[in-house]
Amino acid sequence: MIVSTPYALGNRAPARVEEPADAPRLAGTLAAAAESGSAVVIFGGSTLQSIGNAPQRYDVAISLRKLDRVLQYDPRELTIGLQAGITLEGVARALAQARQFIPFDAPLPRRATVGGTLAAGWAGPRRAAYGHLRDLLIGSTVALTDGSLVNAGGMVVKNVTGYDMSRLYVGSLGTLGAIVRANFKTLPRPPRQRLAIAPLADEIRERTLTALETLAIEPAAALVVDGFFERVPRLRDEDARLLVLFEGSGAVIDRATRELRSALGKCGIAETLLFDETAAADVLQNTIDAYIEPLEDRSVTYRSTGLPQTVWQRALAVCGIASDCDARFDFIADIRTGDAIVRVAGTSGARTAALLGELDAGVRAAVPGLTVLAGDPALRAQIDAWGTPPSTMETLRAIKTRFDPTASLAPGRYVGGL
Amino acid sequence: MASTFQRRLIDALGTDVARIEPADLAAYGYDAYKEDGNASAAIVPRDVREVATAVRIARECDEPVIPRGAGTGLCGGAVPVKGGLVISFARMNRLLALDVRNRRARVQPGLINLELSSAIARYGVFYAPDPSSQKISTIGGNVGTNAGGPHCLSYGTTTNHVLGLQYVDAAGRIHTTALDDVGYDVTGLLVGSEGTLGLITEIEVRLMRLPEAVRVYVAAFADVESASEAVSAIIGAGIVPVALEIMDKLITQAVEAHYHAGFPADAGAVLLVETAGPLDDMDDAERIIAGIAREHGALSWRAARDAAERAALWAARKGAAGAIGRIAPNYYIQDACVPRTKLPAVMKAVEGIARHYQLPVGNVFHAGDGNLHPLMIFDRREPRQVQAVIDAGNEILQTCIDMGGTISGEHGIGYEKRKTLSLVFSVADLAAMARVRDVFDPMRALNPDKIFPTGAVCGEVKASTAA
Ligand SMILES: Cc1cc2nc3c(=O)[nH]c(=O)nc-3n(C[C@H](O)[C@H](O)[C@H](O)COP(=O)(O)OP(=O)(O)OC[C@H]3O[C@@H](n4cnc5c(N)ncnc54)[C@H](O)[C@@H]3O)c2cc1C
Repeated sequence: MIVSTPYALGNRAPARVEEPADAPRLAGTLAAAAESGSAVVIFGGSTLQSIGNAPQRYDVAISLRKLDRVLQYDPRELTIGLQAGITLEGVARALAQARQFIPFDAPLPRRATVGGTLAAGWAGPRRAAYGHLRDLLIGSTVALTDGSLVNAGGMVVKNVTGYDMSRLYVGSLGTLGAIVRANFKTLPRPPRQRLAIAPLADEIRERTLTALETLAIEPAAALVVDGFFERVPRLRDEDARLLVLFEGSGAVIDRATRELRSALGKCGIAETLLFDETAAADVLQNTIDAYIEPLEDRSVTYRSTGLPQTVWQRALAVCGIASDCDARFDFIADIRTGDAIVRVAGTSGARTAALLGELDAGVRAAVPGLTVLAGDPALRAQIDAWGTPPSTMETLRAIKTRFDPTASLAPGRYVGGL
Repeated sequence: MASTFQRRLIDALGTDVARIEPADLAAYGYDAYKEDGNASAAIVPRDVREVATAVRIARECDEPVIPRGAGTGLCGGAVPVKGGLVISFARMNRLLALDVRNRRARVQPGLINLELSSAIARYGVFYAPDPSSQKISTIGGNVGTNAGGPHCLSYGTTTNHVLGLQYVDAAGRIHTTALDDVGYDVTGLLVGSEGTLGLITEIEVRLMRLPEAVRVYVAAFADVESASEAVSAIIGAGIVPVALEIMDKLITQAVEAHYHAGFPADAGAVLLVETAGPLDDMDDAERIIAGIAREHGALSWRAARDAAERAALWAARKGAAGAIGRIAPNYYIQDACVPRTKLPAVMKAVEGIARHYQLPVGNVFHAGDGNLHPLMIFDRREPRQVQAVIDAGNEILQTCIDMGGTISGEHGIGYEKRKTLSLVFSVADLAAMARVRDVFDPMRALNPDKIFPTGAVCGEVKASTAA
């Protein structure tokens, strides 16, 4: 049975939802839960709870909804201190006045929170240009299950004082503690943004992508989207569209556009649609939203990270196996970062359920390191989100045991059943 | 007579790899901060298996293990303060693989930083972290301390450029870890862990494409404070050049005397600015940055003519500590970091502290990052001067903390600041780090007495803070 309340995960709903008003209370709630043997799941905006397995036990949901403030922001510092429950849109708004930004590039920024985005280890398409979020994270406060609130880093941009603990919590999916505060470097916002979309036929793909590598002005992001028509409009009758984002001064954008058009023209692509400023940002955001967008109740979305040069091979391997299993697919290949996102779906939920076992085994054998990013909860419950544990599993387990000895934080959600 | 430990090392690895003679061991007892280490043995392994073998022997003989790069560290990190086995990575110094299209390279830890960028420049790529010591320090040591450098202002420090690692753990087992792996970020924990979590035997680094255009400028100011104000204002205006470095008069004169790079030796302070990126932006960037510099009292502003002059200016800047070494009996470099609006205030405070202790102080630092390096000149034969340097250093650190800063921006904690760490972190904060240490090195056999005071369980940390 799949339970559906905002806090339900898999077939479990919590007995209690807590919304602590400050960090000490949050830490207290965590400690009390751990003490009493309850299992806890920490909630931000619930946009990326689909990453990882549903918890094996689940008693208390802790929402960070009330911890939604900007704690420290002097634009002249190019740093900001945030409570973890603030939404990405809230951060963007705070930074906009000073023409600064943090490239979260995560889905559903009106709901998604800073803490959740970090805990999910979200890695967006512009990280090739601006770095991963963990590279901009300069400090953190985390509540641990013993009730302590621990700080790491600070508000300075360079800091070598003991272990870089903040990075431990990035991508830990709330299995080690609850991030309550995050400090970031902010970036000056490039004056202009332009996103070019062009149809990309299979026959010219390789040539085109090679040509992109030699552009004098490197794109801030470059993606190929195949399908996902509900989010990224179709061009001509081609399924695949090339999206190239440039950010910088007017002069740079104009030159980049000229060079891009000429490079694409040589590959036989005559038409390029251009979107500027907020229109460009909207297309990018829509594309990012597609990463986790389910297709009704009948899809599962996989994510694979790896070398940019192998992104096609990985994406096509998954798509090929999906086809063999009679499933349809949509995919995004990020040619700058190497991320491949593939959504697979049967003709109905029941149909996907029937073919998923074979499909999952096939794609995992073909593409090591594949993880499940999103999809229908009932379908996700059928498969393991992580696949084969990494060679460092023993170390991961030891870390988990040290930070959460009673396994009270989302037990079973993480890699290797942690 | 050789100890059992020494004999076992020789038996397993031979005399070419294992060193036990006191004369040989002297070469592994120092770094750029501390010189009185005392290794029980040292090895200079050729590959990871030899590292693993030696670590197992050390463990069985209950000897600690201390990894060593080039020994240029400035906080005693590579010094064997409790005896033990020093593992020098000097021979594991190869570039193992270069993948230009995917912008990455795999290197051994002993590879000298600058040698990597020199070897790959012809492919149009570079490795961004560039500590001033890059001609001599190793990438393994840089990973050990999460080294910074002038160009880290816009490119980020070492940790932002490490994609994966191979390491040997405290039990002598070999592991690999990469950012693309699922699971907790073991890679990120190891970077900057100063040899206390594992011995890094291979590093996968991120490379960047060489920028289309590079410009370097030199501005003269009446004093460090006004130069610092200019830096705060540039950052405050939302402009992040590739590098923003300040040298004061004492440093500039020492540097000019040796390098003749063309810095204005009569200026109270010099600001060195680098911008890089598409050619189209270069003129605008200069106009804006030069404008802010002038508003804050720049007396002159000059662009380097060509690549040769740019290189000469950077070589001189990066050789500053060496240049001081030629004119001063001894010097001590402090490393601390403050929020960038606090830069003028902290520089003023440093001047006051130096005056109070009657110590000549030079400043050469990564101003754009708020990362200061007051360099105090003294004579180590004068105990009172030595004490003054220690007291002044502590006062500077406390001043930085009071301003919302921290006690190390890039040199690390090592042996030097292990007792100071509790000034910035609570017992609970340190206990969280200890949990990580427990995972990797429960016996505290890897680089003991570094980062944390001995037996840094909660109570003792508290006691040492109170004392
Ligand atoms: C003139 C001068 C200028 C400097 N400029 C800068 C600067 O601009 N920025 C900066 O950040 N630093 C600077 N430094 C400090 C120093 O160069 C850096 O800390 C550098 O990273 C040390 O590298 P190394 O190879 O000498 O390492 P070492 O000093 O030998 O070791 C440094 C630390 O890393 C550990 N370590 C070494 N190798 C390994 C390994 N393979 N695995 C695990 N741990 C290991 C050691 O145990 C030690 O704790 C400067 C030093 C000098 C003398």
